[in-house]
Amino acid sequence: MPEDTGKIRKFDQKEWIKENISYHKDSGSWAWIYHRISGLALIGYLFLHVYSLSTLTAGREAFETKMKAFTTPFFMALEWVLFIFVLFHSLNGIRIVLVDWADGARYHKMLYKVSWIAGIILFLVMGYIMFSHEILKLFGK
Amino acid sequence: MYKYQSSKNSGAKSWVFQRISGLALVVLMIGHYILMHYHPDSGHTYDAVLGRMQFSWYRIIDLVFLTLGMYHGLNGIWGIFRDYNLKPWLKISVLTSLFILGIAFVAWGYNIIFSIPYLRNITLN
Ligand code: HEM
Ligand code: HEM
Repeated sequence: MPEDTGKIRKFDQKEWIKENISYHKDSGSWAWIYHRISGLALIGYLFLHVYSLSTLTAGREAFETKMKAFTTPFFMALEWVLFIFVLFHSLNGIRIVLVDWADGARYHKMLYKVSWIAGIILFLVMGYIMFSHEILKLFGK
Repeated sequence: MYKYQSSKNSGAKSWVFQRISGLALVVLMIGHYILMHYHPDSGHTYDAVLGRMQFSWYRIIDLVFLTLGMYHGLNGIWGIFRDYNLKPWLKISVLTSLFILGIAFVAWGYNIIFSIPYLRNITLN
């Protein structure tokens, strides 16, 4: 997915890991690499998710024993980190669809910047939603 | 991301479905994330899940979410493999494995949802 930046450069999809490590990148190939990584992270998460939800079939005790591990501060933080992948893949996915179907090629760079700003804001908002209860508890309600 | 392909099975349909399922997943996934985190208990306790599962429409949303997510994710992985011009036998093996994996996990997830009891007899609500 080489981007039209004036200079002609081939982006070799087969060598995407090597391309990732190599030095010359513009925002287009970064977006593409991140999109792939976040997509793989999400489908990986979905497998784990179904696996860990499977204790729901065994009733309350089994489920809550399992969930106890995931409500430690460490895992809460990981859930917040996962939201980075969710956000990137969602916002960039919308950008891809706009480029393909809504003449987005004309404004995709601006969209990319706007997505980053929106993403950072949404990330912080989600942090507040996730941790406000804990933070309020720290200060005695 | 433009793709020009010129064989009979151009993958154009799966390209379109990837975009449509993606758009549906924006709503489902972001909604799911907010729902599961607006309170620390809502995503991590049995009672919260049990409470939601009393509403059949909520179960339906979960099943649609799981189906679309699996389809989109595995189709995405298949798209990555497609970059590599695999030999036909490898292509078929990969495709079959992804297909079986998807069916298995979707069936597992459906089974989870259906195993959660209704506390009272509630029909579509
Ligand atoms: C928020 C909603 C989502 C949107 C808007 C979205 C959009 C997209 C689009 C448009 C593509 C195709 C990229 C291309 O053809 O070049 C794609 C690829 C992909 N998506 Fe999603 N997606 C979403 C959610 C998900 C979820 C939930 C998963 C995992 C379960 C996932 C996994 C993948 C994977 C693995 C790829 C392939 C990456 C690649 O080809 O490099 N996506 N996504
Ligand atoms: C870390 C944050 C998350 C938490 C705490 C969480 C929690 C839960 C819980 C408790 C359920 C049980 C059913 C219900 O109450 O609706 C569920 C179902 C589900 N979640 Fe999540 N979830 C999270 C993130 C995600 C993400 C990022 C995805 C998409 C890739 C996802 C996809 C699903 C699907 C497809 C189901 C239905 C599963 C089935 O039908 O068996 N979840 N989630």
